[in-house]
Amino acid sequence: MIRTVWLASYPKSGNTWFRMLLANLSATDKPVDINDLPERGGIASAREPFDYLTLIDSGLLTHDEIDVLRPRVYEDLASGAQDDEYDKPEKLPPARLVKVHDAYTHTSKGEPLLAGRGGADAAIVIVRDPRDVAPSLANHNRVDIDLAIKQMNSHELAYCAKPGRLDLQLRQKLPSWSGHVASWLDQTDIPVHLVRYEDLAADTAKIFRAALAFAGRPATDEEIHRAVRYADFGELQRQERDKGFSETPRRAGGAFFRRGEVGAWRDELSPEQVAAIEAAHGTMMRRLGYELASEAPRTGTLGEWRMASGE
Amino acid sequence: MQFYQVSGLSVASEIVLPGLIAATADVAPEVTIRRGSVPDALSGATASGPTWQIAGKQFLMRIPDIARFLLKNGNEIVFAAESDAKAADIPIFLLGTVFGILLHQREQIVLHASTVRVNGRAVLFCGSSGAGKSTIAAALAQRGYPLVTDDVCTLTIDGRGAPLVHPDGRQLKLWAQAIERLDLAQQRGERVRASLEKFYVEPSEAFTAPLPLGAVYALREARPPHKPGIERPNVVDAALLLRRNAYRPLLVRRMDQKANYFHAATAIANVAGIFHLTRALDFTKMPEVIAWLEAHWLELRLVEQAA
Repeated sequence: MIRTVWLASYPKSGNTWFRMLLANLSATDKPVDINDLPERGGIASAREPFDYLTLIDSGLLTHDEIDVLRPRVYEDLASGAQDDEYDKPEKLPPARLVKVHDAYTHTSKGEPLLAGRGGADAAIVIVRDPRDVAPSLANHNRVDIDLAIKQMNSHELAYCAKPGRLDLQLRQKLPSWSGHVASWLDQTDIPVHLVRYEDLAADTAKIFRAALAFAGRPATDEEIHRAVRYADFGELQRQERDKGFSETPRRAGGAFFRRGEVGAWRDELSPEQVAAIEAAHGTMMRRLGYELASEAPRTGTLGEWRMASGE
Repeated sequence: MQFYQVSGLSVASEIVLPGLIAATADVAPEVTIRRGSVPDALSGATASGPTWQIAGKQFLMRIPDIARFLLKNGNEIVFAAESDAKAADIPIFLLGTVFGILLHQREQIVLHASTVRVNGRAVLFCGSSGAGKSTIAAALAQRGYPLVTDDVCTLTIDGRGAPLVHPDGRQLKLWAQAIERLDLAQQRGERVRASLEKFYVEPSEAFTAPLPLGAVYALREARPPHKPGIERPNVVDAALLLRRNAYRPLLVRRMDQKANYFHAATAIANVAGIFHLTRALDFTKMPEVIAWLEAHWLELRLVEQAA
């Protein structure tokens, strides 16, 4: 059976970049089209597979009723229920990596929403310094940075949860940035491999290779180095600029692939904004090795800070 | 017993099914719906999913905490409520998923589509939930193209190979946002379920005679690489598109109906056409989309050029 591995992250933490790396493993002569990824999984919260497999119009169920059924859907997907959907059987990779933004939560019946071991064999959890997530999230959602920080600090935030309309994705609970990361790191149902965005940026090939080995999706050095080159941030930006990206938010304005830089928060956030993030998430930031501005020596340039933090 | 006409079938039901065309009791019903005991599982199941099982001519469907439904031979639906509190929610699932499965048992072509009448012909808008089927049908109904079906659309192929669409008087079901943006508050009816902000909307007119098919549009959101507009896919893609827009496409596969849908796609291609309609999911763009459609109907000669 094909292994299923969650590619779990808070939004704007490098999940799509990782998927682009993955997609480019099978590219040979040129980078894959960002709007035509050879992947099957989509995102775990997509509405269509739910309706497809349960035969129920999820638009007629409440968010909580949907959640009760979601573990059954993930079990079904993990066992390959959708693999014969297309007429031409493609060569399936030994592991399917499926993007997920949901926190690792439990349904009203006490079951893991993502079905624990029944839904996936393991999870690659991608994290990013929340001070870099905030400006990126603000750009993505077309809100100001203060509101983005407020959302990241909220324990009640959920995507696609509005009443009165139907979103194309199912509700995703995002119980604060640190709550989200903790939900994945602290669950004991499935093994986790942690990837820091900053490490992936610093030595993409090495970090990517280790994650692939964990996922059970081996690749040659040649494939990995080519994928790193083809999924270079500049290439992704170029493609988005030239022909648009299907996952860019509908509200016009922001690009999906914005800056992608490590530590850009130093020129994007005010001291008050940095303080608000660190006050809410300091514990998790320390756990992940993100040095707090409030605890760092006040002197020194950005370059020295980067050296000091090992980047 | 209550008597109705649903997707071209005469139905006798123990419970009231809102929004359907009432029928007289003098016809022997082709489908009966009644309360009864329904097992938790079928023995000898040959196919199953998270909420359903198939064993021979029997199909068990479960909507958790609401009801279980046993469908037999394409002509009988037995249901058992799972919660007294949610008994009022049974008809909406009965008329959607459950009746859709029954139509598959009867080997009919059943599409996930809302339909309007254009100059005596049926024009279908297909897509998965959230694609905007009901919204576009509602906007066209306001322009004078009456609603024929909402969400589920049954096609039969007549003796001469012509596809026919069977109206069933289902009311439109629209989310509060669409009702507001289309200015339909006057026609807003009851909530579809007490727990949802989705409402029945009264159609302006209901009729029962089957209509010849005019055109089929598969709705698609305009996001890269898909550009806004109407285009005709090639024959092979059109056949696949029709099957993927079946009402519950998984059942086409699990109930061995692929050949049926292939033949239907051929019949449709002969008399009408299967098209992609690609547009932004944006209410303010609706007049523009309707203008494309009206121009397309002229081109297809579904309507005559105004004198």
